[in-house]
Amino acid sequence: MSTTTSTVDTGHSESRFLQHHFREMSQQFDTAKLGMWLFLVTEVLLFGGLFVGYGIMHARHPEAFMAAHHHLNRTLGATNTIVLLISSFTMVMAVWSAQTSRRKLCILFLILTLLCAGTFLVVKYFEYAHKFHEGLLPGKYYTHQGDEVPGEFMFFSFYFMMTGLHGVHVLLGMVAISWILLRAMRGHFSSAYYSPVDITGLYWHLVDLIWIYLFPLLYLIT
Amino acid sequence: MSHTANHITGPRTYFFILLALLALTVVTVSVSYVDFGNMNTVVALIIASIKASLVALFFMHLRHEKFNAMLFCGGLLFLAIFLIWTLFDIDFRRTVLPTNLKAPVQAFPGAQLNKPVRPTTGQPPATPQP
Repeated sequence: MSTTTSTVDTGHSESRFLQHHFREMSQQFDTAKLGMWLFLVTEVLLFGGLFVGYGIMHARHPEAFMAAHHHLNRTLGATNTIVLLISSFTMVMAVWSAQTSRRKLCILFLILTLLCAGTFLVVKYFEYAHKFHEGLLPGKYYTHQGDEVPGEFMFFSFYFMMTGLHGVHVLLGMVAISWILLRAMRGHFSSAYYSPVDITGLYWHLVDLIWIYLFPLLYLIT
Repeated sequence: MSHTANHITGPRTYFFILLALLALTVVTVSVSYVDFGNMNTVVALIIASIKASLVALFFMHLRHEKFNAMLFCGGLLFLAIFLIWTLFDIDFRRTVLPTNLKAPVQAFPGAQLNKPVRPTTGQPPATPQP
């Protein structure tokens, strides 16, 4: 695979976005990025608790999880995976457009990312509506009848907690991307200053990263 | 962490990474229909980890940022400790316990919540059913 890599020096410009407590733009950029990565680590550990809980319950009740996951629609899950992967691509292209001062392209890719995020949530809504209708709800709210294996409610406790928390992150990501979009429309971003785009991109990729694990764990149990 | 210049990766690379990610998604779905016995979850997690690495290295630019990569891997290390030590406990607790000790609490607290619907839920697989 050919990798085209070039370098752009952003260190010396006196931008109006340079905050007074930073020496120069590159220092501000690195600091913001480091802060975002620290936040992403806390996010990984937040989801980590749910993943560990899922691992324990799956190890103890494999039959219940196996039976319960048949209520999920693999096609919709795979569709959402693809939608989210494409949104990650459009997001990284928005970052690239900002890095290379292509304002219109940046706006276009941000809008595409928002559309993908919206599609993801709409598909999720239909999935949730189906589960609510069938009574496939977490814990004591589980009212689905005719199960052959006991304990399927546990799977749905994890399903709703994990996809719900992930869905909240998608929503917050959409808010962040909308904010970036507004600023991009005002012409704030160029090769001299694009750290908000970059940082929002990092957050959005983490949302994608978590879904990459959620999809096989919830939809593809065998 | 003193990099004054920022690396810019071109759209071409990003597009190839997207194609790779989509291909790996197809692979995960089709592999889930093949029976590897106990290894299915492991295979799925390996493919997911490859995809996650591609996203982190290319889309999140970690391959150019040693310090942030180290930070992120540190977080993953603690997640691994959390997960592996917990699973040790799950897997070996019953065999390690001497017989003269009180048996571990096996009842799942959620069972009582669910009593009217499913009286047996939450019992571990080994417990005899009434």
